[in-house]
Amino acid sequence: MAVATPGQVPSVPAEPPALSLYEGGHGRWPSWLQPAVRKISNNGLRWWTGFAALLPVAALIAIIAVLAVKALPAIKYNGAAFLTRTTWRPGSTYANPVRTNGVLHPVGVSYGAWPLIVGTVESSVIAVCFAVPVSVLAALAVVEKLPRKLSNAFGVFLEVLAGIPSVVFGLWGFVTFGPIIARDVAPFFADHLPNIPVFDFFRGDTGSGEGLLTASLVLAIMIVPIVAATTRDLLRQVPRLPKEGGLALGMDDWEVSRKISLPWIRAGIIGASVLGLARALGETIAVAMVSGAVLGTVPTNLYLPFGTIAATIVSQLDGALSDGTGFAVETLAEFALVLGVITLLANIGARLLVRRVAGTALPVGRGV
Amino acid sequence: MFSASSSKSNRKVAPGAAVAAGLLAAFTTTAATIIPASATTLRHNVTVSETPPKGSVNIFETGSTLLYPLFQLWSAAYHQEHSNIKIVPSGTGSGTGISDAADGIVDIGASDAYLSSSQVSQHPGLLNIALAISAQQINYNVPGLNHTHLKLTGPVISQIYQGKITEWNDPAISKLNPGVNLPADKIIALHRSDSSGDTFIFSSYLSDSDPNGWGQNIGYGTSIGFPSISNALGETGNGGMVTGCAATPGCIAYIGISYLGKTQADGLGEAMLANKAGKFELPTATTISAEAAALEKKTPANETLSMVYDSAAGGYPIVNYEYAIIPPKELNNAHAQAVKAFLAWAVDPKHGSSSSFLNQVDFQPLTPAVAQLSLAQIAKISG
Repeated sequence: MAVATPGQVPSVPAEPPALSLYEGGHGRWPSWLQPAVRKISNNGLRWWTGFAALLPVAALIAIIAVLAVKALPAIKYNGAAFLTRTTWRPGSTYANPVRTNGVLHPVGVSYGAWPLIVGTVESSVIAVCFAVPVSVLAALAVVEKLPRKLSNAFGVFLEVLAGIPSVVFGLWGFVTFGPIIARDVAPFFADHLPNIPVFDFFRGDTGSGEGLLTASLVLAIMIVPIVAATTRDLLRQVPRLPKEGGLALGMDDWEVSRKISLPWIRAGIIGASVLGLARALGETIAVAMVSGAVLGTVPTNLYLPFGTIAATIVSQLDGALSDGTGFAVETLAEFALVLGVITLLANIGARLLVRRVAGTALPVGRGV
Repeated sequence: MFSASSSKSNRKVAPGAAVAAGLLAAFTTTAATIIPASATTLRHNVTVSETPPKGSVNIFETGSTLLYPLFQLWSAAYHQEHSNIKIVPSGTGSGTGISDAADGIVDIGASDAYLSSSQVSQHPGLLNIALAISAQQINYNVPGLNHTHLKLTGPVISQIYQGKITEWNDPAISKLNPGVNLPADKIIALHRSDSSGDTFIFSSYLSDSDPNGWGQNIGYGTSIGFPSISNALGETGNGGMVTGCAATPGCIAYIGISYLGKTQADGLGEAMLANKAGKFELPTATTISAEAAALEKKTPANETLSMVYDSAAGGYPIVNYEYAIIPPKELNNAHAQAVKAFLAWAVDPKHGSSSSFLNQVDFQPLTPAVAQLSLAQIAKISG
């Protein structure tokens, strides 16, 4: 360091300043390398973040593309009537295969998706019908009424329930739920409901415990944590002012919940229900264990066995592999695409519904 | 051809050539009469060593739930004799056994169904090797009648599974069982929802005994389109069929004979089936062996044969070979040699095919001629 003598301006040190202001910056590198290091450091972050962002997009595109390519021969052979057909005939796998329109398939094969589409949608909708009222009312009780300690305990129970694997639910449903429904619940409703055509769905043959009602109840129990936790968090965000205003006007607690809290979070409840619906649509192993696994038939009442697309894909994959022409596996890929489309439609419908509902939220605040 | 210049030499050669040709013709015709054309007689016995190579090998087996109990017994016994070889069995259904073996995922695929021609043409070198003779029972759960052996025929069972006969006291069933007090209970027809060799055998039996009904409309296979009727129920695996039938009063189910102990323990009824000669038989050692003996000569070299509903007078109508499906190429040479040794041990009546093993699963051993065919195929395994 130059010593400052009176009258002399201290000279500027000859060494150029470090290119970074912090310790251990690019200044560690030799100067001839520093421009390159700087460029790599700056662009590297861009590359890594760009790559990470592209990964989910690429995965989704890859899944759809591979499934579509695999399903193409089946789509060509099965045609558009596939969605409304009710047959399930694997054909004569032991006879010589034939080629139609360039697609190799066993003789006499005919698959139809209608029973599975109906089964998937019915079981999921019934599950949501059971789960949403229970979850919303439970969340109301937790947020409005329960003391803090119980409220926290409820939260813990919800989280544990949400974390239980679906196969555990399936096994439990098969061992306990199924027999109870077969012995007690189903005969009670089937025998005591009045003989009006609109109740036909709830009467008649009570099956053996493996059926639509059992599967829907098991799905409902799986959906409850999602909807309840979301609704509870949403209810906590409802501002106190409107609620206290309602109480001041003379409303009781129940009316405040019904007319102020719940409408405030209407869009959020719909969103949570759709989350639950999406889980139910795709639920595979639990449904496979309690649905009775029949193919090619639409259940005529609530207690009879049925099939969903996801459960059928998993239970039929091994059998499909033994079809030497590969047509059965291609049809399963087509089923997977159909399930993807159903889930997509459910999501789009929910978005439209939320937009419509949120648009009419109370003027005082914003819908969530 | 013959030119004029060589005619002199030809005249000397021609008689010799004629004698040689004559001798050759005589030899071949004699040989043709001495060496029989039948597929089941060989001029010498095939032997395959039952001693595995040194070095530890894990043999993976998957497939038929009908063969699974026997594989569990064999696996334990073979491991005791040769502790360097471990056989890992699992019961996943014959369809999985065939497809996993075809893809080379496992060393041995077990199947009650033989290979289809399209499977063999897709995977040349895929072998189906007969290991034992098994049978299939028709079980039912009619409270009060589980100790009476109800008599059923193929066409009646075909009608039940098509939903045309829905109650146990239907006239068609009462006609076969005079004097039996059949209840008016609903029949619940159980079937296998996984790809199953038992389904193959069962549907073959229905196709053969009811060719214009089941044979025309539904056919046979490891996965078939069971008619969708309101009282049908799907189960997974032979074990699932046993528990499902025990839990469902009024059920009828097709279950492999290796589960006879379990069905008897659960108190399920066993039906007597009409064979082609019209006699009603239970699946016993005598009736199964009678059917198998009658089919011995019809078994081709590749052992692909349906043994169902044949014409043996005292035979049980649903009988089948249990097959080991072998991939065209095993994982490596050590695996191939180990598999060959194990399979040779399995078909040997002094070892794997002795009554101490087979009696526990109610199977019958292969007849000696068919065991030779199996050994010939075992010798072809390569890796």
